[in-house]
Amino acid sequence: MKKTTFLSIALIILALSLPLPFLYMQKPSIVGYFNMVILFAIGTQGLNLLLGYAGQVSLGHAAFMAIGGYISAILVMSYNVNSLFAIVIATAFAGLCGLLVGFPSLRLSGFYLAIATMALGSATTDLIKRLSITGGDHGLRSISPLKILNFEFYSEFSKYYLFLFMMVTIFLLVKNLINSRSGRALRAIRDAELTAESVGINVAYYKLVAFVLSSMIAGLSGALYAHSVSYLHPNTFGLGFSIEFLAMAIVGGLGTIWGPLLGASFWVLLPRIIGPRLEYLSTVVFGIAVILSVMFLPYGLSEIIYRLEKKMKLR
Amino acid sequence: MFDTLLNLTARGLSTGAIYSLIAMGIVLIFQTTSVMNFAQGNAGMFITYLAFFLLALKVPFPLVIILALLFGALFGGLTERFLMRRVRERSHVGLLMITLGLALIFEGLAASIFGTFPLNFPPILTGPPVHVGPIILSKQDIIVNLLSLALFTLLFLVLYKTKIGIGARSIAEDEYGARVLGIPVFNIYIFIWALGFALPGLAGILVVPRFSLEPHFMVPIQIKAFTAAVFGGMNSVQGAIVGGLLLGVLENIVAFYYPILKESFSLILVVIVLLIFPTGLFGKRSQRRF
Repeated sequence: MKKTTFLSIALIILALSLPLPFLYMQKPSIVGYFNMVILFAIGTQGLNLLLGYAGQVSLGHAAFMAIGGYISAILVMSYNVNSLFAIVIATAFAGLCGLLVGFPSLRLSGFYLAIATMALGSATTDLIKRLSITGGDHGLRSISPLKILNFEFYSEFSKYYLFLFMMVTIFLLVKNLINSRSGRALRAIRDAELTAESVGINVAYYKLVAFVLSSMIAGLSGALYAHSVSYLHPNTFGLGFSIEFLAMAIVGGLGTIWGPLLGASFWVLLPRIIGPRLEYLSTVVFGIAVILSVMFLPYGLSEIIYRLEKKMKLR
Repeated sequence: MFDTLLNLTARGLSTGAIYSLIAMGIVLIFQTTSVMNFAQGNAGMFITYLAFFLLALKVPFPLVIILALLFGALFGGLTERFLMRRVRERSHVGLLMITLGLALIFEGLAASIFGTFPLNFPPILTGPPVHVGPIILSKQDIIVNLLSLALFTLLFLVLYKTKIGIGARSIAEDEYGARVLGIPVFNIYIFIWALGFALPGLAGILVVPRFSLEPHFMVPIQIKAFTAAVFGGMNSVQGAIVGGLLLGVLENIVAFYYPILKESFSLILVVIVLLIFPTGLFGKRSQRRF
């Protein structure tokens, strides 16, 4: 994707999304869904960086989200830390956990990472259930909303703009990383690890960098989630949610910068379209979407947009 | 003290046998097609649901087990024939994602067809526990042990004595070499995938009386099976069996003395194995494939 197209798409999306809440002035719940889309898009962007650009599979992404969410919530509730500061600490701590898990497992071949992260995912939820400070099996209730200076992000509308700002920042950071020296190294590792190694790329180092960054982004998304939903339960962040994260990244389009947003919108909005009575059918549709996009659309939903653009001779 | 340990070992063996059954499917598929199959747990769960409703229709238990194995084989064969084969040449990560997609489909189908309400699945044999010397075992545990022993023997005979098994082992060594020698690689793939989905179905039926039947009950068992496979060495079928049995026994003993470690034990084991001997107990150091 050329630089101009990224900018133009970004501007179009921004222009479309800024007045969006005003369309639903009367229905804050719909804006709430948009907030979820943005939160999961941030989290999925982390996974996209790891899987789409560096080619490493992680099955514990939701665990990093849980770590970020719980650390931030506990810091704010039990230690009265400023919530902005708490989110920064939570993000850093999720990165540290990523370092601890990634360091032994990334030096081995790819599937060990999948197993190690899967074990991490189940162990994290298990640990959260057993600790008392995390509320154990009852979950953590009434987490205070975000507060910057004296402004409380309480209403869905204010959260919407904050999250939108966060998402644009994260997407820009990832975009710049991908087009930098490190990003080229990551893509080289994904496409041909041996070749990358032979031209002097430190494969283990770059894999670790991608893994730590991805877990930091997941931690940030989890911290924002905690203060937005104000309720955390360990069962939310089990292996199933990690798999759904992977599915979001795949359906949206791996290795495309806007894929995570598309995948997250698909995942959040599909059950609303199908309706609450057939809630579980959306999981089936989602699984089918994953298989179809692997078989026919390697870049997922992004590819549909790309093909449409090509047909309309936009580029 | 010694009696307690003996009892824990005996009960752990029957848990371990179930881990071994699933781990064996994982290793067989990984060896021949180098894909990690994440759909196994949920496929087993779905087959267990089917078995539950067959039982409710008063179908006798042995027939239900055979039918469940056939269902699993059918799922596996269809997966290989219509999904895996079309993607294999194009992308490798894609294969893993298809298994994840299948896992989602099985989970959603089970929840939307059968509901999420936990059901009680009857054990194969009920009745008072049996005393064998100092060991006290329930009849279900004995059946589990005997059935898995029979299956392990059968599978080893298939792998080492029949043409299809020898073909499968040659694919594990070198796929292109096997193709050049005229081994029907694609048929063997179908056989291996059918086996890989039938085994967890049986394991699900054997293990479900300890829990209750609901759409997520196989997830922790699948994680343990992966642990067992890594523990025994991802490229060795013997390793999967020994790894599963050892994991079951160790876990049972650890859970008895330190209950807080019950679920985390397999994670600790995975980390230790990954750090100290990444090829597992029986694994050979494999060369990188190109």
